[in-house]
Amino acid sequence: MTYDASSQRGKRAETHDTSGRTFWGRLVEWGPYHTLMRLATASPRRQFLILAAFPVLWVLTQHLGPMLQMVRVSLTDAYPVAPGVEQHFTLDSYARFFGDSIFWMPFFRTLAFAGVFTFCTLIITYPVAYFLARHVSRKNQMLFLLLLLIPFWVGEIVRTYAIMILLGNTGAVNLVLKWLGLIDRPIPFMYTSFSMGVGIVYLTALYMLLPLYSALEKLPQSMNEAAADLGAGAWTRFRRVSLPLTIEGISSGCTLVFLISTGFYATPVLLGGPSTTVFAETIAGFFHVAGDEWPTGAAFATIMFMAALIITATFQKAMNALRKGEQK
Amino acid sequence: MNDRPELFRGNRIFLSCIYWAFVLYVFVPLILMIIMGFKDSKFIGFPIRSWTLDWYTGVFADAEVLSTFGYSIAIAVLSTLISVMVGTWIAVLLEGRKFIGRSVMFGMTVLPALVPGIISAIAFRIYARYLGIEPGMGAIVWAHAVHNVPFVVLVVMARLSTLPKSQIEAARDLGADPLVTFIRITLPYLVPAILGASIFCLLLSFDDFVRSFFLGGYEPTLPVLIFAKLRSGMSPEINAIATVALILTAAIGIWAERFTRRMNKES
Repeated sequence: MTYDASSQRGKRAETHDTSGRTFWGRLVEWGPYHTLMRLATASPRRQFLILAAFPVLWVLTQHLGPMLQMVRVSLTDAYPVAPGVEQHFTLDSYARFFGDSIFWMPFFRTLAFAGVFTFCTLIITYPVAYFLARHVSRKNQMLFLLLLLIPFWVGEIVRTYAIMILLGNTGAVNLVLKWLGLIDRPIPFMYTSFSMGVGIVYLTALYMLLPLYSALEKLPQSMNEAAADLGAGAWTRFRRVSLPLTIEGISSGCTLVFLISTGFYATPVLLGGPSTTVFAETIAGFFHVAGDEWPTGAAFATIMFMAALIITATFQKAMNALRKGEQK
Repeated sequence: MNDRPELFRGNRIFLSCIYWAFVLYVFVPLILMIIMGFKDSKFIGFPIRSWTLDWYTGVFADAEVLSTFGYSIAIAVLSTLISVMVGTWIAVLLEGRKFIGRSVMFGMTVLPALVPGIISAIAFRIYARYLGIEPGMGAIVWAHAVHNVPFVVLVVMARLSTLPKSQIEAARDLGADPLVTFIRITLPYLVPAILGASIFCLLLSFDDFVRSFFLGGYEPTLPVLIFAKLRSGMSPEINAIATVALILTAAIGIWAERFTRRMNKES
């Protein structure tokens, strides 16, 4: 009990204190501090303002600030501004996006990839989460979950590299296939959308697994039993009981995974090829070259963020509607 | 867990196969990577004909790699300190308090965690320029700190919501002012959550690539170093470096998991 520990610490302080009062007791009655605190807590309103000032300031300047500044830069014609040059506001950077397929192709490819990879992640992790929540005893659940957590503490780059070794021409998969006599020459898995998919699913699986697990864990077992008693088969039980009742978990897992997979930069660079260039690479390109490309990069990042937000918001709305429909 | 396992035996076997296949999927790539670091050849790939420890001993002999480890750890520690202090403060403001604009405040608080990686990196890069922060350690620490705040807020808020109100009231009745009450009652109660969140932030910062890549100066963090080395070709040297990083993060993660579970049980 943390509370006990602290009160014991208080007692220990008291035994050293000859006046019979604790350090905190004396602090509270110490003149300058007392006056300061009385001023600060004169009214609930003032107390609240003092508590809220820093968080509000932080969130506005540090959380919202960078995004707003990005949008602002995207509307200018040059950034950073050279001395003596006047900065103009323009929509040129946005027009540039629609003007060239070299820009919008990667954009739509990214969204399509993210959608497909999200769906794959869902399909792969749902049975795993189901098994964990429904078929493992409470005592072992944490152990089984911990086993899956360990690889996910390892960073993005290290895990991407591990996939490179797995899928390379002299990689483990090709070695096993060759040994089984299924192939004579290695299959070129690497630098394709397949290798990218394997990598991205590997990186995002946990963000899907955890929401699904917590949704499935809340599901009362009696529901499944009742359905089984009424003669529902495994598929019907899944379709009519588990699935509708875990829509919330599915919805938040998919949203998270979709947002994360649109943002990957290093993984597509390392696992993808020329035909799988994603928008993150396009955006990054504007920041590696001369500074006057920043507005375009900022505009493209804004477009992508807006698109990701609109898609996830629409998706969540649809899922909510679906859930309400099921409940009727 | 089922009370009547006989009902679902078929499912159970099928699902456990999927679970263990998934475990293989997440572990095999890492295990292969570790093994490949023992290969006595410059070329990555199977089969491995002769073995060596040279790549691993090389990691600890390479001053550049060692200083990169130190640099990444320093960034992780500094950014975590900032995230934890700011995050705890925001959590105390948001939890159990009703005020106008609370949901807006909450939305803005979790925003950095929802922005896709590349966009967040670009936004931080632009904002750093705007604030006049040069690319380098300061910029990375700042970006990691801001990015990790939402995770601290969520973890601390969850813990704070279980704090019995009576303890606060008792302290106030005994003459403690709000600040003393916070330091003597609330803070000790939050310790497990704060420690858990700290470890999570440390790992997030240590593993982060995209923000470190766009906000870094000439000195690379560990993921950036591995990335740069990978672009010039795969080599068992990279396996050895990555394995040392892997062991470090996994060990911290496992330790933190056990530690927070024990703390939660005790209180």
